[in-house]
Amino acid sequence: MKPERIAALVLRWAWLYTRNLPEPAGGDRVAEIEADLHDHIADARAAGAGDRHIAREIASRALRGAPADLSWRAQARARPTAKGAGMHRPARRSAVRVALVTAGVLAIPLTGMAVSDEVRWSAADFVFAAVLLAGTGALLELALRRPRNLVLRLAAVAIGVAAVALGEADDAPGLVLFGLLAIAAAVALTLRRRVRPDPRSG
Amino acid sequence: MALESEILATALAMRRDGEPAFHGFALARRLKDERGSRSLTAHGTLYKALGRLEGFGLLTSRWEDGEIEGRPRRRLYELSGRGAETAERALAERRAKPSPHAATASRPVGRPA
Repeated sequence: MKPERIAALVLRWAWLYTRNLPEPAGGDRVAEIEADLHDHIADARAAGAGDRHIAREIASRALRGAPADLSWRAQARARPTAKGAGMHRPARRSAVRVALVTAGVLAIPLTGMAVSDEVRWSAADFVFAAVLLAGTGALLELALRRPRNLVLRLAAVAIGVAAVALGEADDAPGLVLFGLLAIAAAVALTLRRRVRPDPRSG
Repeated sequence: MALESEILATALAMRRDGEPAFHGFALARRLKDERGSRSLTAHGTLYKALGRLEGFGLLTSRWEDGEIEGRPRRRLYELSGRGAETAERALAERRAKPSPHAATASRPVGRPA
């Protein structure tokens, strides 16, 4: 067998075990193996080695190193490399949480419409409620991640108060309940911060 | 850390021979020659060890500049100041303390991949 064919297989293996690894770790490893394979073949041929011998040598190096390749991959995956990668994960989790809660709350009137004639929400009502819920949820998530920022908590309280006032005026108990929940969440955040002070504040 | 120590010692020897920068395959060949081994160090083992040494700040690496005709670009490693000190110390200790294999084995000591 031609050493180039074995080298191509080894390179394919390198592509496989570096798949989805953060850059530049993955790409660097593949490029390094590619250079090594090229140098190996060139050096062995210059020394007069036969193709079968070179191919066997390359296969042996790849096979013996496979456990180390896999453990290196596990380490490279665990290592936070890009500064942003570690920061985006909590933000994504927050967004998922807000979306789930919003969908869960909106499922209540939707179910109500399906089982009773007394609940009648228009599409505009759903959109308004979704914006209100998601906006307040995002605000609370931000307040949770930045416990020192009083403005975020005050904004959540203001939305809550506005919702209660609007709900009272419009005779919408759902809106009043939402407003009360928003205020309660903002107050709970404040109390939580008092009980467990931010460690960064010394 | 056996392979890592070997790499540092070999890198130091290469530096003394006027080759301060080395690439993966050149190191594998040199290690093989120095051990008198029949096989080259496995890819995974070699590059994992080089990565560890770079992570410890004992080696530095850079890619060759620009396109090289006829072959892929190589990653070149070099001993850092701390790496050279560590290698010197390890060599001095090795010289001061005879190897346990020296008296019993005349054949070169190979190491698993």
